[in-house]
Amino acid sequence: MPNKLISLAEAVRRFSWDGMQYASGAALPIGSDAIVFGRELLRQKRKDLHAIFHCSGQQLNLLAAAGAATKAECGFAALEVVGFANGLRRAVESGRLALEDYSNLAMTLRLLGGALNWPFVPATVNIGSDLQYRSAFSPDEFPARSKIPSVTDPFSGREIGAFSPLRPDVAAIHVTLADPNGNSILLGTEWSRFELSRAAKKVVVIADALVDPACIRQYPNLVRIPDILVEAVVYWPFAAWPHSSPGMYDMDEEHTFFMNKALASEQGTADYIRDFVESYSDLDSYLDLIGREKIKTLSASGSSFLLDPYRRWIFAPEDVASLTAQGLST
Amino acid sequence: MSAVLDYTRQEMMAIATGREIRDGELAIFGVGLSMLAGFFAQADHAPNLRTMTEGGVFGATPVGGLPWGIECNRLAVNATSFTSALDALGFLVASGRCDVGVIGAAQVDKFGNVNTTGVWDGDIGPHYRPPKTRLPGAGGANDIACGAKRFLIMVTHEPKRFAEKVTYISSPGYLDGGDARASYGFVGGGPSAIITTLGILRPEPGANEFVLDGWFPFSSVEEIKANTGWDLRVAPNAREIPAPSATELANLRKVDETGALRKK
Repeated sequence: MPNKLISLAEAVRRFSWDGMQYASGAALPIGSDAIVFGRELLRQKRKDLHAIFHCSGQQLNLLAAAGAATKAECGFAALEVVGFANGLRRAVESGRLALEDYSNLAMTLRLLGGALNWPFVPATVNIGSDLQYRSAFSPDEFPARSKIPSVTDPFSGREIGAFSPLRPDVAAIHVTLADPNGNSILLGTEWSRFELSRAAKKVVVIADALVDPACIRQYPNLVRIPDILVEAVVYWPFAAWPHSSPGMYDMDEEHTFFMNKALASEQGTADYIRDFVESYSDLDSYLDLIGREKIKTLSASGSSFLLDPYRRWIFAPEDVASLTAQGLST
Repeated sequence: MSAVLDYTRQEMMAIATGREIRDGELAIFGVGLSMLAGFFAQADHAPNLRTMTEGGVFGATPVGGLPWGIECNRLAVNATSFTSALDALGFLVASGRCDVGVIGAAQVDKFGNVNTTGVWDGDIGPHYRPPKTRLPGAGGANDIACGAKRFLIMVTHEPKRFAEKVTYISSPGYLDGGDARASYGFVGGGPSAIITTLGILRPEPGANEFVLDGWFPFSSVEEIKANTGWDLRVAPNAREIPAPSATELANLRKVDETGALRKK
């Protein structure tokens, strides 16, 4: 069968570079986010990243705290009920990272514009507020002219705004289920992952579980990211940890708060990177790090029933190992 | 005469917000307090409320307490549809179809403009500079403020949060007042109320400046004026707002299972 499986380390080696426009975190903070891809970016010392994160979350929090991201564009830059994103906050307040603000609809529309190769997207939101008039990327322009310029609707004559389209170099997209060729099913809201998968120049999917292609053919309506869009597939359970993945696992509340507290200081960030970024060598030791008991608890999610229709097609770890050996890695 | 109920200011704020939401409406909630207020309304007096979150979770009610986020598993367990941000914030809000939205604020001004982006020392000035304290940003609130037929603002009533003019407009209220919104052609009508931990402010027709419409039983006109950073005027018909009824409080606490609003 066609097979794009690749190891996480290899995916980051092949599909990332310093200074790139990197998109991920396309779900709200406490939903799914390919956080483990961000950990690997740090392990491979990537720097000067321009992050396109619809919403931030712990991945951008970590990349910002570590100084690996120097620019970011977001609709929402915090951890919802968990609180402010301390690492991102430190980076923004110190001026180490320029954060360009948009709204959540604006980020989706800009990805849609990139996906359709539109020159711009009409903006009926964000206009009239400081999202339009203030630009962290062009701080000397006030009111900003290059961020959301005013344009005239040729039909009504009314003045509206123009959003710039987004075409990130690479998107690391967390999905619940993928087949070895990259056909993907997302449980829970897709947030803007559909638009992102079409806007990015290259897409790597990071899947919590791998399924037989027969699963994909059983539910083609639910496959919102088809294989033709996908460069590589990474199998990595608990890829969104400590966030949740609907149907798979709940948020690790303890680690979420611990991590955000650590990222509030330089020392805490260094300790966090030592203990939770550089300390594992493979998937097994990553799962050990989370804790096998913790994994049982988090997996006993009230949302588990969402996975029931797909369970019979999920590959066992040993099958995944042999598929990975035959994949793009070879 | 029933016994005096023990409730917090946060609970009063959530119940007062919920009372603004009517049965059958199409409603969108942000995360946290606004979600509790919205789902309280559904549990209490608006059983046919049609709800969604900005990530595209439809028809769900929280299970196991306040969801950590709008894509939290506490909401994923009984949804009727999962779609996307483009669907919820675009097709259903930017289109003008959404009746009411609920948003929070770090800072709000007399024209109902909302800042959730940052705290600066003084004005930002002509050259943009990073905030002293960075806040979450606009999220979907800007989209709700532009597109929902009306929206409600929930905010803790403190002088630093109630400014003559917000430092940064993350989500537009009535901008400079009067019909200033009209020049942008927003499909949404603007904020219909600011519900605080002390009372309710509403826009005065015409000027669209917010005036005091009512105070909670534990509060007063004096306390509210002292905690407002502009010279707040009092509406001629301003009155005391009824305390939560036993039923209202029970319905709120069914939604707020983990007691997020019980903390004093």
